[in-house]
Order: sequence, then C-alpha cells, then structure tokens
Amino acid sequence: MRATVKGRVGVFHPQGFLDGNNAPSYLTLEDIKATENLNIDMLLVSLKKVIFFNKNGLDVFIKLLINIRNQKHISVGLCDYDHTKFKTINSFYGDTLNFSLFLTEKIAELFAPNNKSDTRTVLLYNDDPSQRSAMAIELFDYGHNPIIAQSKKEFDEKKKSPDLYYAIIEDTYLGLFGQKIATRVTGNAIIYTIANFLDAEIGNTFNIAYHNNSLNVGFRLFIFDAYKVVSMNVHALNFFTKLASSAAEYNASICFVGLTFEKTPQSFKNDLEDAGMLFFDNMDDILKNKDLLQELGGSSATATKQIRTLNKALVNELPHFIDATVSTIAMMTNAQASKESMNVQILDVKNADNQYASSIGFYGDVDGMIILVFPKEIAKKACELLIGETTEDEETILDSLAEFVNIIGGRAKTLLAEKKHHVDITLPRTYPNVSSLMEMAQNKKGVQVNLSFEGSNFIFFLTR
Amino acid sequence: MITKEDIDLYIKNIPATPSVVRQALEYVRAGDLPKAAKCAEEDPALKLYLKTLVNRPIYGFRNEVSDMSQIFGILGTSTAQQILYSYLMSLLVPKEWSLFSLSNQAFYDLQASLSRKWEKILKHLHLLNHDNESAITLLPASIIVCDALFAAHKNEVEQLRSVKALDYNTILQRLSKRSLFDICSDISVKWEMSSTISRIVYAASGTDLEIQGDEKILAKWMHLLLFYELSQSVYVSAGLNDFIDFHIDFVQDIYESFMQVVG
Repeated sequence: MRATVKGRVGVFHPQGFLDGNNAPSYLTLEDIKATENLNIDMLLVSLKKVIFFNKNGLDVFIKLLINIRNQKHISVGLCDYDHTKFKTINSFYGDTLNFSLFLTEKIAELFAPNNKSDTRTVLLYNDDPSQRSAMAIELFDYGHNPIIAQSKKEFDEKKKSPDLYYAIIEDTYLGLFGQKIATRVTGNAIIYTIANFLDAEIGNTFNIAYHNNSLNVGFRLFIFDAYKVVSMNVHALNFFTKLASSAAEYNASICFVGLTFEKTPQSFKNDLEDAGMLFFDNMDDILKNKDLLQELGGSSATATKQIRTLNKALVNELPHFIDATVSTIAMMTNAQASKESMNVQILDVKNADNQYASSIGFYGDVDGMIILVFPKEIAKKACELLIGETTEDEETILDSLAEFVNIIGGRAKTLLAEKKHHVDITLPRTYPNVSSLMEMAQNKKGVQVNLSFEGSNFIFFLTR
Repeated sequence: MITKEDIDLYIKNIPATPSVVRQALEYVRAGDLPKAAKCAEEDPALKLYLKTLVNRPIYGFRNEVSDMSQIFGILGTSTAQQILYSYLMSLLVPKEWSLFSLSNQAFYDLQASLSRKWEKILKHLHLLNHDNESAITLLPASIIVCDALFAAHKNEVEQLRSVKALDYNTILQRLSKRSLFDICSDISVKWEMSSTISRIVYAASGTDLEIQGDEKILAKWMHLLLFYELSQSVYVSAGLNDFIDFHIDFVQDIYESFMQVVG
C-alpha cells in the first residue's frame, strides 16, 4: 500500500480489519522504500475505513511512522477516528504515546506547511493545558487563528456555532511535535518560525526541500520570525550564510525579524548582513510597508532583478512535458487535447476573465516551471474524476486542480527518468484568477503552447 | 482511460452459459439432483471443478469425494445451484492475473470461503433460500472485471492514487458512469441469473441508497463479509483490500452480530 500525498502530507488508507496477522501485508519493502523517499512534512495513517484494529495491527504502522520520523524529522500519527477509537488508542499506548493523533485529516493539515496564505479560524479544546498551549502555538506558527476554549463548558457552548470555525479541534494529541520549523505563507512571503537556541540541529529541522520548492515556484521573500530565539552558535550562523548564498541565485531576500543580540555575538549580525540578510524589529515593518515589500520581492515576482531565461536543456524536454499534460488530460477525461500553436514568448492570456491557473516547478537535471491556464468550465471538466460530483466551490476546484497538476508533474518526472534525467517536483500552486498568476509570471519568457480540448482552448506554458 | 465502449466490448465477450451447465441448473432448480449429477458428468471441466471445490479443507470432508451423485447429494439443491454459478464465474477467471497479485488458487479459496461464511450468515438471518445463497457467487465477479478492465492502466491508476485515495470502482464510475457492480448485473443478466441475485450484489457495493428490507440486510452483511475476507493477509498482499470503497457507516450497526457469527 502506498501513501497518498496531498500537499506535504502523506496518508495511508487501510480498509476493513487491521490486526497483527494482516498488517505486515499492507507494507511491502517497496512500499516502505517509496514512503521513505516521499518529500513530505507529515505522515499519517487514516483509520476512517478501519472497522476493527488491535494494538499489534497498529504497531506495524507505528513502527514505520517512528522510523521515518527519526530519519526525516517529520510529524507522524494517526487520523480520522471517532471518540471511541481515540479512547482505545490512548488505552493501548497510555503514557508511551509518542506520535500524534488528529481527529480528521483536515485538522492534521493545519499543522503542516502549505503554500496557501489563508488564515483559518479554528476552535480548540484539550483537557490537558500543556497540550492546549502546544497546539495553539503550533497553529499560530503555521499562520492560523486558534480560538482556545479554557473549559469543556466554554468549548461546548462555542461548538454550537460550527459555521464560525474552519475546524473544531478535539480528541487530538500532539506527540513529539515541533520537530520541523513551522512555516506559513503570507501573500508572496514565506515566514519560518524559529525559537530557543539555534545550533547544528537547524540543518535537520529546517525544511530545505520546502524552501527550494518555494524558490522554484517564484517566492522571493523569506522571513525568519525570530522573536523567540535566545541565541545561536557558529553552526547555525554557517547554515544561514549558506541559505543566503543559495537565495542570491534567485535574487530572493531573507530577513530576520525580532532577533536580539543580547546573547548572540554582534559579529554574527555583521556576518549575516554581509551575506545579504536583512534585520527588522517587527513583522509589520515589512508586511505593512508596501514599498519595502515591493523592493524585497514580497509583493510579486516582478521585483526579481534578473529573469531566468529558457535554456536548451529545458526546450529539449518540451515534448515530454506536453506529452505528460496531454496524456494526463486523456487519462482523466477520456477526451483528447490537441496542439493548436506553439511560440516562444511572454505568457499571453486572452480573455483573462473566468480562468483558473496553476503551476508546478521542477528542479534537478533540468529546472523550470509548467503553468496551465484553463477556462473555469474546462478546469472543472478536467478535474471531474478527482472531484466526483458537480461543485461550484472554488476551493474544492482549485484543490483538485493542484492534484491534477501534481499528476502532470509526476508523469513528467517519470518520462524524464526514462531518459536518465532526475528531477524533483515542487508543490503545485493554484491561482483563482489570471491577475494573481501574472504577478508571478509576467516578463518571464517561455514556450507557450495553445491546446484545444472539447472545443475550448487552454494554455500550457513552460518557463524558468 | 476506460470508456463505455471498452465495457460494452468486455460484456460482449463474456461467454454464454454452456448448455450442460444450463441443463444442470434446470434440474437443480427442479430438485432433481441425480439428473443434475448425470448432466455434470458429461462436462469434464465442470466435473473437475466440482471435485476440487468440494474437497477443499473448508468443506471439511475427511475422505476424498469424487462421485458426482455423491457430490450433488452432499451439496443439496441450494448449494448445488450456488456452486454451478461459481463454476460459471470460473470461466471468467483470467489465466494470469494482471492488476492484482493473485493466483487462481487464492481466488478459488476466496470463492469457497465467501460461500461457506455466507451460508452461516443466511442461517443466522433465517434468510436461506436458493437465490440468496447463490448471490455470493456473483460478488467475486467484481474482482475479475476490475482486473480485466484496469490491467492495461495500472500505472495511470497508480499516478492517480498517488494524489487521491480513489478506489477502482469509483474511478470507473466517474469515467464511464458505470460501476463494477453495474457490470456484475450485466453478467447476471447474460447468465440468466435471478434478478434478486443481481440486486443484492449491486447493493453490496454500499452505494445503493434505494434498497430496503431483507435485501438491505443482506447487502450490509455481504459488504462486511467481503471486507472481512479482503482483510486477510493473502488478499491484502494481492492488492485487493482497496479495490472498492469500504462503507463503514453502512455496516456499523451489524458489526457486533457479524463478529459473533463469522469471527
């Protein structure tokens, strides 16, 4: 059984009965290896469709989860259970419970980084005050707005208005959490929350793959929220210096906010400034200053000083990317998309109204980005297999579009691997309108292919 | 991926009921087991199938049973009808499984195990009759159809499932507006099975909201029985555990009784 990956969360979905006899059969050696190679921040086992489980059955999955957590410093746990199952799991593991429990997958996703800038208001309650605080801090660090009920009575009262909250968090437990640096997105800036004493361990807890993904999909401003940092040593200094060098390749800006130098040598600040890091006292000094935001690259990618141009290596692989797109559409809709025209140009979207767009970056032996721009109706049609029912809910459609682009990225990766080119793909990004795409993509030269599908046109754009 | 035309072609290629089996079924329905046995003697493949099946450990006979009259006598009319349908199903079993890592031996074990447990369930529910007992034979057809239709699309399904937990039945339903269970119903029509059989099996997908009464009860028990069997190690390893969607809410209320009868 393979985990399904949505965003940066991998989930196993066993069904039926889970005991010590059958559980090992769910995970072959290939499955374990494939799971270890996933580029994720959280790995879960969903119990939604498990009608019976015992401790021996769960232990097989828990062993894998803990091994992967030890290797990759990611969060692991179980999700999608009811209150009875929650109590059963607690009785199985008691004080030794060292993995997380999330009532639903939707709640788990709140504790993992993504590249959306939505702030979710959630209602939170836990009997244990330390769990309550830990969850609130994590949620806040991931950019959400937790409303904490201080008592069961208050919680029950607030629960009566579920429409006010994106999620209601109960029967949830954070086990050995905070292994990774929390990440959130605000507009076009990525904010990392760092705390306590920074040492060589930051190389493990900082999600470098996510950071590289973000650079590849066009983010140019990275802010370290360092209010809670006490001090750092020379290893952490080296880490940040290297990060600054790699950011310089993309003309990205890295800032520290709220970092004090009472216990950190002042010379470190000079070294970091020499490497190109910027220092601010307050977050609002950046986020509320539009001119500064523009200059740092946090308002749009147009602030990029150098535009990466198409190269021969990328153009040589163009047929693979088009193949991946056309075959994915054929697979998902049983209808063929055909090529109408192809030009090297700046992205040109006619009839920009009523269109959705999505992008996915790739890096490795070749690097670049695929952008797709669809009329809304075509996007819905293309995602029908994933959505399953007719919906007008924009978030559902955009989420499915992200999954759709992810499949295209996966197919392109496979096609390139056949030619011995190794690439990794980034998280997909979706845009509810063309103007938000153009903030990122304008002035980028690339290959624009106009494709026709069921009488309508859509755009495939390959750029760097 | 899979089109309506692919499905129509698949159904078209399903062989009609062989005349020997049709004749034997008629005798069984009329309660004339000696004539049914004599009829079965004429078809070596059917004879071998019945002998192999009845001598599986799950039937619990100490000595080998090889005489057709004896086999039909042991089985009785209801089980004989069920086993003749199982034989028909075996005609659809592929020489080599492509999508699932399954051997024919394991598939026949699944058929036999489902049949024996289904009989226990029907006795518990006091719903034992010819058609109800035979309904279980059509259920594994969903596995055969799934393997046949998706074999050429294994990689595509893997890519699809890497981003979303979709079962084969849902993928087929969304692509072609027909589910594996619709196709099972088509097979039952082609093999002139009773409409009760196809209704129960269709409802056992857990997605038929219209079904009521005894058929709903049978559908729930069949759905849970299928997942009880597909949770066995050998079928999990074969990749059968998630070929259709398990509707836990559909069966939650019978779980305790089910475990007492089957577990």
